Amino acid sequence: MTLRGMRRLEARRQMEESNFLLSKARSQNLNPPVDFRLLDYVTAYDDNLMCAICRCPFVDPVVLAECDHYFCRDCIRQSWGSTYSPSGPRGDCPQCRTPARLGTRSATSKILVNILDDLLVKCPKHEEGCPVSVKRGEVEDHMNIYCGYAYQECAGERCELPVRRKDADQGCLHFGVSCFDCHETMQKSTLENHWRSECAVRRVTCPRCNMHVLSKDLDSHNSETCEAVSIPCPGASIGCTSRSKRSQAQTHAKSCTFAKLAPVISSQKSRMDEQEAAQKLLSRKLEVLETGFGVMQGILYPKVSVEADDLAADESRIPFLDNSASERTLPPHHPRMFSGDSSGNALSPFDFPVPPTSRPSSAAPGVARRASPIGLPPSESAAALRQHDPIEAYNTNYDLASPGLPPPSTSGGPYVSPLHHLLSMHESLRDEMSRVNSALQELDGRHSMQTLNENLRTREEISYLGAQLAGLSRQVHWLTSTQLQRQSRSATPSAVAGSSSEMAGTSVEAAVNAVSTAATALRGAARMVSVGQGQSSSGSHGPMRRENSAEGRTKL
Amino acid sequence: MTTPLPKRIIKETERLQSEPVPGISAVPHDDNARYFDVNVEGPGGSCYEGGVFSLELFLPDDYPMCPPRIRFLTRIYHPNIDRLGRICLDVLKNNWSPALQIRTILLSIQALLGAPNPEDPLNEAVAKQWKENQAEAIKTAREWTEKFAQKK
Repeated sequence: MTLRGMRRLEARRQMEESNFLLSKARSQNLNPPVDFRLLDYVTAYDDNLMCAICRCPFVDPVVLAECDHYFCRDCIRQSWGSTYSPSGPRGDCPQCRTPARLGTRSATSKILVNILDDLLVKCPKHEEGCPVSVKRGEVEDHMNIYCGYAYQECAGERCELPVRRKDADQGCLHFGVSCFDCHETMQKSTLENHWRSECAVRRVTCPRCNMHVLSKDLDSHNSETCEAVSIPCPGASIGCTSRSKRSQAQTHAKSCTFAKLAPVISSQKSRMDEQEAAQKLLSRKLEVLETGFGVMQGILYPKVSVEADDLAADESRIPFLDNSASERTLPPHHPRMFSGDSSGNALSPFDFPVPPTSRPSSAAPGVARRASPIGLPPSESAAALRQHDPIEAYNTNYDLASPGLPPPSTSGGPYVSPLHHLLSMHESLRDEMSRVNSALQELDGRHSMQTLNENLRTREEISYLGAQLAGLSRQVHWLTSTQLQRQSRSATPSAVAGSSSEMAGTSVEAAVNAVSTAATALRGAARMVSVGQGQSSSGSHGPMRRENSAEGRTKL
Repeated sequence: MTTPLPKRIIKETERLQSEPVPGISAVPHDDNARYFDVNVEGPGGSCYEGGVFSLELFLPDDYPMCPPRIRFLTRIYHPNIDRLGRICLDVLKNNWSPALQIRTILLSIQALLGAPNPEDPLNEAVAKQWKENQAEAIKTAREWTEKFAQKK
């Protein structure tokens, strides 16, 4: 008895087991495993959660042991498919090409897996009507246990067809029916789906507005056109809290101030955003310019860099500096600044640029300074004192060369910005430079012309004197030769001859004297010429030289 | 189409449309989502500047495990592109990696236009010219661009 009981029990247990396995196999068959890559993700996910191979959030992520890049296990297996090695799958990382192998399961960061499992997804059956969004980690459970639209075994006896879980308690629905409206034959279990998405004839009445709509359009009717659904006022974005039915929305919009203002305000808002972006850009530019200006100021006035920095930092003070500085310093100082520059490197850069702020505020400081170097602030070194005289000499020359020089055109009142001030200063300096340049050129030309003229005259005189000298020497030669002849002829002494020879001797002596004076005069003239060439002579030497040569001629 | 389109291809196509790469456009055919019409602008500063070159791109069944097939349809004077428009580019062959995408590949091709590599030629004649008389070769490339490519 007990033995039979045991057998029966055993048989029953086996049957139950097989039934359980069968039903499990069937339910798995009926609901194919969820493919995570085909899910619709509700939560937004970024590239960091995305497998580089399938471009989906990782499914069973693995980390590569060498480079720490993550991939889905399937993706990386598939990608390494052809390369087999006995020590486990290995290959190059698809992202960085590092030779790598799969990390251990425990190497995969748990936090990554948790983040992935927490991503919200729509139920895989959402197209068939299931409205649920679940976490990705719970999708399998949802499908296998809860989802009303998942399939399970039909409750009917000897019926092996699948049925939706929500319909399971209505008994076997696998009998033929035909649609009331389109008369298509189908099984009862699929009728609902047919109405929901296929039937082109069936109309239903909207429970809210009592309108007849196509059954398959009911969803879009509810969300878009149903008159009875209340929608927010168009002015909701700027504060109108009223909701009205779609049919009355128009009338509400007509009376609602918010709704009228909404488009204006939204357009203004977009414009304001634009302006804000532009302003941000401009302020950035201004900042760059300001720092540049500060640097320039630092370069220009290194001695009072602290003050300059203060001024640059304190924006409100800059216009003040401009007004006073431009009036006080610019016109009189420009020539001086320039002369300091051109008279050479002897002036150290610390002496040349006197900051406007450190100048004494006398009415015409430039004039005072030109008159005497005492007016210089003590900050200027002794080098400046030494250098001052040549500068002033140059300055007077410069003024003579172009007496009609207009004052620099920079005293045009307050400047818009320190940068403008600097620029105008620079511009006027450049003007001065070019003017002085042309004056210098003119002077040079005049100078060389004068030298040439002088030279020409002197050369003429020299050649004239040379000719005179030649004539004289010929005369002397003639005189000596006659004298000699006479002496040889009167070998026997006679009184007459003595007196005559005496006369001849004196005349010869005089002639020799004359020649020697002429020679000294000539030498003097030659020296004059050489001096005239070497020195930058003005016309003042001319008359004296002519006197000299006249003297020489009279001596002859 | 027997097999459904992989999610990756759908995503790549969407992204190519929504945020296109500057100078590159790729549009799938209506009847075959794996076949793309591609237009690539010649990179600025190269001898292909100002021309728009059309290419065809096909994603094989095992994409992304194997590289897409790409071919120039516009004639182009380039040492790494032969008369049939085939392209000699390592990432299109053995250096393919499934982490690469259509956009990255098209960017590589645009870069190849900017930097021809006559040391690894596909078109021997062009490569020879390129090595011996580069100025002349660049001039020819300009002329061809003028003649065959669409204007930008």
